[in-house]
Amino acid sequence: MSATTTLPAASGAARRTRPRTLSAFRGGPFTYGMLVILSAIFMVPLVFVVSIALASDSTVSTGQLTILPRDWQFSNFVEIFRTSLPVGRFMINSVIIAVTSAIGQVLSSSLVGYAFARLRAPGKKGLFLIVIATMMVPAQITMIPQFWIFSELGWVDTFLPLIVPQFFSNAFNIFLVRQFVTRIPYEMDEAASIDGLGFFGIYVRLILPMMSPILIAIAIFTLTAMWGDFMGPLIYINSEEKMPLALGVQYLTSTSQELQTPPWNLIMVGSIFLSLPMIVIYYFGQKYMYEMNLSAGSAGVK
Amino acid sequence: MTTAVVPVAADAAGRESAPGRRRPRPRLAPHRRREALFFYLFISPWAIGFLVFLLGPMIFSFYLSFTDWDSFTAPVWVGLDNYITLLTDDPIFLKVMGNTAFYSLISVPLGMVVSLFIANLLNKKVRFRKLFRTLVYLPHLIPIVAVALIFQMVFAPEAGPLNQALALIGIEGPNWLMDARWVKPALILMSLWQAGGGTILLLAGMNGIPKELYEAAEIDGASGFRQFWSVTFPQLTPVIFFNLIMGIIGSFQVFAQVFILTGGGPDNASQMAVPMLFDEAFRFYHMGYGSAIAWILFVVIMIFTAIAFATSGRWVFYESEVRS
Repeated sequence: MSATTTLPAASGAARRTRPRTLSAFRGGPFTYGMLVILSAIFMVPLVFVVSIALASDSTVSTGQLTILPRDWQFSNFVEIFRTSLPVGRFMINSVIIAVTSAIGQVLSSSLVGYAFARLRAPGKKGLFLIVIATMMVPAQITMIPQFWIFSELGWVDTFLPLIVPQFFSNAFNIFLVRQFVTRIPYEMDEAASIDGLGFFGIYVRLILPMMSPILIAIAIFTLTAMWGDFMGPLIYINSEEKMPLALGVQYLTSTSQELQTPPWNLIMVGSIFLSLPMIVIYYFGQKYMYEMNLSAGSAGVK
Repeated sequence: MTTAVVPVAADAAGRESAPGRRRPRPRLAPHRRREALFFYLFISPWAIGFLVFLLGPMIFSFYLSFTDWDSFTAPVWVGLDNYITLLTDDPIFLKVMGNTAFYSLISVPLGMVVSLFIANLLNKKVRFRKLFRTLVYLPHLIPIVAVALIFQMVFAPEAGPLNQALALIGIEGPNWLMDARWVKPALILMSLWQAGGGTILLLAGMNGIPKELYEAAEIDGASGFRQFWSVTFPQLTPVIFFNLIMGIIGSFQVFAQVFILTGGGPDNASQMAVPMLFDEAFRFYHMGYGSAIAWILFVVIMIFTAIAFATSGRWVFYESEVRS
């Protein structure tokens, strides 16, 4: 036994032709058991959400909720639009904020990242170090002065404080674009330059189309971050018809009358509306996000 | 001529530019000046954003932390008073920082253990691998507001699935969110529900571990656990390390969960740094005091980052072939 296994190369190659799985990769009953149990545990809250979302008002107010759905009251998914709160408006607001922000990040980060990857200028290295350093600054530091700036501008209770900063790029996205552009062969720039394109022409006609995978990743990242953002709207948005869904759904819990149970079935319908687009975006965009995760080693999209 | 120069230029492309390597001397200066001009023009969105939304506010915030300011009248200089009050006299601040550290230092490593365990299961050749991976990853995709609302129901003392499950094994579950002893563990449990998010990156890392190492370990008769502990884990430490730092920094800034689920209660047992900062600044308009909290939080985060980096050499295993 030991004689055959210690034989070098030749036997190793012979072994590889046989479909034999190393013990480290063999899935036994324990593996399957744990996977089934863990998946079930992870799924319970989601099944419970669906169950509550389909529960009738009386089931909710008497607290007789079950983990598996029992009532199947699909009309809740229509009922949510008939509450005193403009839930349809919440959704439109969320879409406006998320899409505009994504456009802003894609445009600004791609331009800045391209400049850092390709153009030469004195002080560039120092500036890039500053870009990297800004990643370490927590948003809370600038929260209060930013609020002051935006209230001086009269932008409180508009989408502008949420959207406008996205048009000035951010350090992480610049870093991603720079890494990506660095991998594009420089000969292409040279050729385009010989063909008479300027720096802006090279950016628009050559680099921008080639960057699309990383730009899609940035767009997805910005979309999900802005869609789920709670603190920004909480600080800046006061009136109901300007709230995004993330804030509005939470608002549903607080608007019910005193001593009355909040309409949990509708709140869970709202939570489903809040979550489903994220799952759909992930499903269609996972290969791009995967690329971004690998190239940046990030802790995942959050 | 040009053909000879191109590879050199391509080689250095995008990295540090060797000055004056590409163009004939007479044309170089104006061309480079133009290129530099375009560089500054192109990075201007970042530069303006940096000055207006980051550097300016940082300086202003630092100044504010030494003042008393309600945002309506002029700030009043109070020197170090805000910091001294926070650290010696505030009824809840030290408790709040303790809560935040407790939450962060337990939930992040625990989440790492959970996602490592799951990733190790999914790294095996199992049927329905993709399905399991999706199910485990799904909670990570749910926006935090929805997660908080969902767990308000999960933690419900009677109807909630958690206490129902505990009742099955004969334990009477606590009133999670109303009990000062259980509210922080509840928030940690909630964060573990999203721990599957880390598995994707760990799986990618595991994919890059050379199979020869497992072959050798198997020949040496190493058990499954031993193979994990002596091969997989050391090879993954760069990924784990990175995730730990980012996780701790992120969870120190926990906000929405606390704000929605508990509002900091009961008895401030779940009050954390950023919700407290939010209350001080935007509920009570203590902008100076709030700025001081922000700066202390910033320093704490920096210290954790520095500790993590300083000790990384001892336990992080770096090898170029680990990362693809």
